[in-house]
Amino acid sequence: MPSVSQTVRVKVLFFGRLKDAVGQAEESLDISDASTIEQLFALYVQRIPELAKYRSSLVASRNQEFAAWDSALYSGDEVAFLPPVSGG
Amino acid sequence: MTAPLDDDIFQLVREPIEPGTLVGHVRAPEDGAIVTFDGFVRNQSHNRRTLYLDYEAYEPMALAKMREIAAQLYEKYRIHRVAIVHRLGRLEIGETSVFIAVSAPHRAAAFDACRFAIDTLKRTVPIWKKEYFEDGAVWADGELPPSPVATPGAKPAS
Repeated sequence: MPSVSQTVRVKVLFFGRLKDAVGQAEESLDISDASTIEQLFALYVQRIPELAKYRSSLVASRNQEFAAWDSALYSGDEVAFLPPVSGG
Repeated sequence: MTAPLDDDIFQLVREPIEPGTLVGHVRAPEDGAIVTFDGFVRNQSHNRRTLYLDYEAYEPMALAKMREIAAQLYEKYRIHRVAIVHRLGRLEIGETSVFIAVSAPHRAAAFDACRFAIDTLKRTVPIWKKEYFEDGAVWADGELPPSPVATPGAKPAS
């Protein structure tokens, strides 16, 4: 079993208005192993408090599938925060 | 009828979409109908004059979701072939942003499947549109894809 303090690297992607708010489209970030997507988002809210207002209008994906906010993250995962989609 | 997703077309492109090529691709002797949807850039949005649009996508996921839509079409409707193409980047007024073609032996399935495809694309495919007006630009409102509910048993006790 990995220890709780072990850190892993994940890739984080932002799109649309969220990308503008964060100021970048993607970054690699070291987080505690098995952190949830919700916890990852909270790290960004700490860094950029205005992101909190987007939380209720976002969905998340893990490895290119829509994912629940309590999904745990592991080394090499790709997480994206997706605003309401407007293709078509 | 089988689900020949490998013979279907799913693309994100940066050049103008060519509807004729896509219609030709889905057309076959055993079909009797093709229904297409051509979505193109309107010159106004909420009574503001639109100058142009800029589309971006989470590309690998968007392509996967387009394939999933086609898989659903084969489950729900008796259709033959599907083509779904969305354009990215800057689009001028009147240019096609999305084109869908569905062929089927009979028209009802083709109509129903094409409608389902565009409606589902607009709700679930990670593509975003920024609208440019004379006095600024905004990300279009859009639809929030359904989010999976909490993961059942985050750590199964095996």
